[in-house]
Amino acid sequence: ANTGWMLAAASIPSLATDSQLDPCPDFSLEKEMMHRMLRVDHAGEYGANRIYAGQMAVLGRSRTGPLIQQMWDQEKKHLSKFNEILAENRVRPTALLPLWNLAGFVLGASTALLGKEGAMACTVAVEESISEHYNSQIRALMESDPERYTELLQVIKEFRDDEMDHHDTGLEHDAESLPGYWLLKNAIQLGCKAAIYVSQRV
Amino acid sequence: MAALLRGLRAGRLLRGLSSVVAAPTSTTPQCSSLRRGFHCAALRLQDESKSDKHSASSSSSSSSSSSSTTHDDYTSQQDFDPSSGDQEQDEDYETEEQLQARILTAALEFVPLHGWSMEAISAGAEAVGLSSASTGMFTNGAGDLVLHFISQCNSKLTEILAEQHNEVQLGQAEPKKTADFLRDAVETRLRMYIPYMESWPQAMSILLLPHNIPDSLKHLSTMVDDIWYYAGDRSTDMNWYTKRAVLTGLYNATELVMLQDSSPDFQDTWTFLDNRIQDVTNMAVTAKQMQSTGEAVAQGLMGAAVTLKNLTGLNQRR
Repeated sequence: ANTGWMLAAASIPSLATDSQLDPCPDFSLEKEMMHRMLRVDHAGEYGANRIYAGQMAVLGRSRTGPLIQQMWDQEKKHLSKFNEILAENRVRPTALLPLWNLAGFVLGASTALLGKEGAMACTVAVEESISEHYNSQIRALMESDPERYTELLQVIKEFRDDEMDHHDTGLEHDAESLPGYWLLKNAIQLGCKAAIYVSQRV
Repeated sequence: MAALLRGLRAGRLLRGLSSVVAAPTSTTPQCSSLRRGFHCAALRLQDESKSDKHSASSSSSSSSSSSSTTHDDYTSQQDFDPSSGDQEQDEDYETEEQLQARILTAALEFVPLHGWSMEAISAGAEAVGLSSASTGMFTNGAGDLVLHFISQCNSKLTEILAEQHNEVQLGQAEPKKTADFLRDAVETRLRMYIPYMESWPQAMSILLLPHNIPDSLKHLSTMVDDIWYYAGDRSTDMNWYTKRAVLTGLYNATELVMLQDSSPDFQDTWTFLDNRIQDVTNMAVTAKQMQSTGEAVAQGLMGAAVTLKNLTGLNQRR
């Protein structure tokens, strides 16, 4: 069922006649904030998908294959949900998608080449970044107007819980036993922060 | 110390005003909704005392300037916090926008006579019952008129597309194929220019002025996004960008052809449009064919490689 904000967003064309001089009359700051959030979330899930694809390409036939496949399937579900939300709200996807396609796959594949621990370390780092990001979005939405965004909040909370599960799974499977774990983790998290920053704007 | 601060503020005020004066036509620094630099200057105007404001400005009528001062104040606040504001100030805000819209709509009738210019806007103001001095409201002059017209056309197009969409939803009409839909949408939109065709080159050149380019691009991209949305595009990958780029190119090319078209009812333009859409469709089909051919070739090569490995015994584990 659609809630208020989705209905409001979907009815944009009918409001277009209100203000003749402004080319984008309904683009209030709030809607802009919403679009940025959805854009970066979509980019994040897309990138996560590609990371798991890269990991599977290397470790797909090893013992950790089924585990990675399971996590990848959950990310696929997240991505399709965000595709739906973006289409409904006519949000522009980030122009950097081809870049995240390549970068995600390369990151997943190269960490998987370090072995199972490398793949798990990458998972831990990325999932931690994503969970942090979702948490800050939840905070922002709760601060602005929790009733209006109930459905979106629910979606983000559910996804955040899934990502935390992946993070814990990674830790369980000896991510920390990788030599240089601290270095790799921080490097990846820095990259994620940069990616989030850029995807919100481009 | 206080005198130094006053001097600094006066300096900032003058710099803000000079950026406004450098902008075209109007001598009155009244506010129109899109000038950020002017909003900063307007805010500084509010900070200064009334006497400073009157001496620095060259307003044609003090009453309209003081009434718009409150609008300036509110609209600059509007920029930073659109969701707040009193009920009465909301009504004032809408009235100014609506008033400008009314004047510009009335001015459109005089465009065939005066072209896209301040004369047309003055004639429009008089037709609505105001003095022609109220054209001071339009700091961008003819640009405001052209942009208003474009915005009006886009709104009309969106209404038509939404209506057609509803009819299809209700089952009263058949959904069109994408190529036909695009063709009809572009034709409908371009036909709105026919009454103003003689002066349209002037309008296009006004839109190409540097300070009008951001707004005209925004209008164009909103229109293209609307057309694709109603054509059923729900893509969330690079197709979003390629589709809109293609339609923008199509629209601009057809508009240019229309400028030089002298055939009855612009038949040549619509033929040109048909041909270009056909080209685009062919390109899309060819691209798909190439992709599937490429995949088939890749699979064939992989198969050949595996066969070779089998033949040479490289696949056996010893």
